[in-house]
Amino acid sequence: MVQWAFDGLLGLTLIWLAWRALASPDLFRAIVLFISFGLVMALAWVRLGGIDIALAEAAIGAGLTGALLLAAQARLEK
Amino acid sequence: MQPLCFSLALFLLMNLCVGMWRVLRGPTPADRMLAGQLFGTTAVAVLLLLAEAGGNDAVRDVALLFALLAAVTAVAFVRRAWRDPEADHATD
Amino acid sequence: MPLTDLFAAVLLLGGGFFFLAGTVGLLRFPDVYTRLHALTKADNVGLGLMVAGLALKAESWPVAGKLLLIWLLVLVAGASVAHLVAVAARQRGVKMWKR
Repeated sequence: MVQWAFDGLLGLTLIWLAWRALASPDLFRAIVLFISFGLVMALAWVRLGGIDIALAEAAIGAGLTGALLLAAQARLEK
Repeated sequence: MQPLCFSLALFLLMNLCVGMWRVLRGPTPADRMLAGQLFGTTAVAVLLLLAEAGGNDAVRDVALLFALLAAVTAVAFVRRAWRDPEADHATD
Repeated sequence: MPLTDLFAAVLLLGGGFFFLAGTVGLLRFPDVYTRLHALTKADNVGLGLMVAGLALKAESWPVAGKLLLIWLLVLVAGASVAHLVAVAARQRGVKMWKR
């Protein structure tokens, strides 16, 4: 029962985050939402049993891409 | 032990969802970034609980990776993305 | 053995309480500096209590050591991020909250 609730909330959060990140007019907010999306996506991969993909998602999605996008946004504003 | 771990993981996930409000409407960029930092810590806790409940040791490695990379994004934010008005005047 | 279980459960619940306190602080505190205070302290204590509870239940010493290592890494990251963001906010003239 609790596992179902956990998985359901995880999926809903994932979809909601993806939608907000795409629809956000403010670029910086979209980047922070994208980083949060990477975190929740890694949790979802763990629940699905893909630990290796969760590792890759944690390293690339939450760590590297976030920093790269922030640097790119700083260049855009100049 | 397993039901307790899953209940706590669900509770922490709810915390994360509520904290999203600050990302959406933090007045300064720092507020949004701090909420992201909170999500990182919460995700580490959720992963550790899932590792205990699911009995898979490799999940702890994912938590370790999150802990390692937690600072990278915030440092990139402070050094690059948050525009400093005085520094802008200096380069003008 | 049940005593260990009880102790671990109490520690885990305490950790959950501190996470709740951190989230409430993030939502309710008035400016960047106070939010920084709520976040980086309450959350790291919460994670520490959870790590202690899980380490009590850990099946071997290496697992407990890995849990401790994760907590120390999060502590280092949290402390440095709090300092960096506070200094940056002060440089950029973010106003402090006054009653």
